[in-house]
Amino acid sequence: MREIIRKTYSVCPVCLKRIPAVHAAEGKTVYLEKTCPEHGNFSAVIWRGLRDLEAWRGNLPEIAEGENENCPHACGLCPEHRQGTCCVLLEVTKRCNLNCAFCFAEGGSGEDIPFAALQRQLHDLAEPGKTLVQLSGGEPTVRDDLPRIVAAAKEAGCRYVQLNTNGIRLAADKEYVRALAKAGLSFVFMQFDGTRDPIYRTLRGRGLFDIKKQAIENCAQHNLGVTLVPTIVPGVNTGDIGNIIRFAVAHSPAVRGVHFQPVSYFGRFPSLPSDSRRFTLDELLLAIEDQAGELVPGDSLHPSRCDHPLCGFHGDYLVMQDQTLHPLHKGQSNCCEPVTAEQNRNFVARRWQRPDAEDAKEPAVGDDIETLEGFLRRICSHSFTVTAMAFQDAGNLDLERLRTCSLHVYSDGRFVPFCAYYLTKQA
Amino acid sequence: MTEKERKWKCGKCSQVLTLQKVVFDYLGHTFSHEVPACPKCGQVFISKELAEGRIAELEEELEDK
Ligand code: SF4
Ligand code: SF4
Ligand SMILES: [Zn+2]
Ligand SMILES: [Zn+2]
Ligand SMILES: [Zn+2]
Repeated sequence: MREIIRKTYSVCPVCLKRIPAVHAAEGKTVYLEKTCPEHGNFSAVIWRGLRDLEAWRGNLPEIAEGENENCPHACGLCPEHRQGTCCVLLEVTKRCNLNCAFCFAEGGSGEDIPFAALQRQLHDLAEPGKTLVQLSGGEPTVRDDLPRIVAAAKEAGCRYVQLNTNGIRLAADKEYVRALAKAGLSFVFMQFDGTRDPIYRTLRGRGLFDIKKQAIENCAQHNLGVTLVPTIVPGVNTGDIGNIIRFAVAHSPAVRGVHFQPVSYFGRFPSLPSDSRRFTLDELLLAIEDQAGELVPGDSLHPSRCDHPLCGFHGDYLVMQDQTLHPLHKGQSNCCEPVTAEQNRNFVARRWQRPDAEDAKEPAVGDDIETLEGFLRRICSHSFTVTAMAFQDAGNLDLERLRTCSLHVYSDGRFVPFCAYYLTKQA
Repeated sequence: MTEKERKWKCGKCSQVLTLQKVVFDYLGHTFSHEVPACPKCGQVFISKELAEGRIAELEEELEDK
């Protein structure tokens, strides 16, 4: 017997109509359950009971009667949306130089959007001095004019320009990396699914580990911080989570952190997965503690407050000289205060970006973080973050989460919450 | 110490302040920092520059997000 512990709304995975949904508990495991009058019953695991769900979520309100009735079909942003734009994602191409099993960006081909059109969009989306724009795809580095696009983003007033990439071109083309850095690129988010080639062969179709290392090295030469982005897939790389964290720490300060993304099923998937093919946020929390607890103690990871707590988490650290992590926030300090998208953006971007070569030249004296000066210097040079985002798909979409989403895709002049933008029907 | 701080005196003891290492706790972290203090009574003086500079920076970094 399953017990209903929360009410929310979702969509039918077949017709995408908004329908009521519940969180139903069976023992400690929690499922999102829903029924479409036309297409029947659906269930997807959302929590394995490895952490206390209520404590993790805090006292957020459910979607009340009459709220968000047009969700997610009024997206981009409607007046009922509850969070501002923390990061805005701009697709600069549909093309890619890989053929991944788990790609959501409908591997496309054909003409790229012309530079002038992108320049106009950057101008329209930017709030001068504030915006964090993610250049994404497809694989953005297939464009030779990407440095020009970066420069256009800076000219439009974007404060931070992030590149989402698989790293292949960054590894192969040092001149390209130099041009990106010179154009004002702030930092790089690089796919990094593990520390062994078989993982890449399964997920990405070829061994890429050496390429990833080369890309990190090339970025380091131009002071570009790299955050590693593993897609975590059951049966493929769930056992490599600790190794990924250790690799990242060992490559600090060039590597600025790890951003975990449990696999989600949008895009080309023919059907929704069984629960065994999902990796819930609490499974990820436990895996990190089990595999790398000496670096990342469980109580140093906190639920997202910018987004919904079930969307992700974050932890902030200093990397010490002996390659240990010193957590900046332990315990549950004032974790219930929501933060604005802007506060969050500035906080995280400061850590993902490396300080100017000038500032970094200051010798980071020993481990003198006991002094105020030493501590501030080390934060500037050796920050490290562990973050996660559990993207939603048609199977587990929870509109209570979606309505507070701060990651928005810019498209046709609108800011569309990421998980609404990429939502796809089951075939 | 800044030029200005160099001339400060303790209001109570009229002693010229000297730089002394103090240890303080802030949001769960312990730091030491050299600040002007009275050599006689030990009273510590936090300048506006320090409060608005380094300490504000620290607050920004340690505030939980
Ligand atoms: S997700 Fe946000 S923007 Fe989209 S329909 Fe719901 S409230 Fe509106
Ligand atoms: S992108 Fe999806 S998972 Fe991330 S905050 Fe938005 S709704 Fe949540
Ligand atoms: Zn339906
Ligand atoms: Zn955010
Ligand atoms: Zn005195």
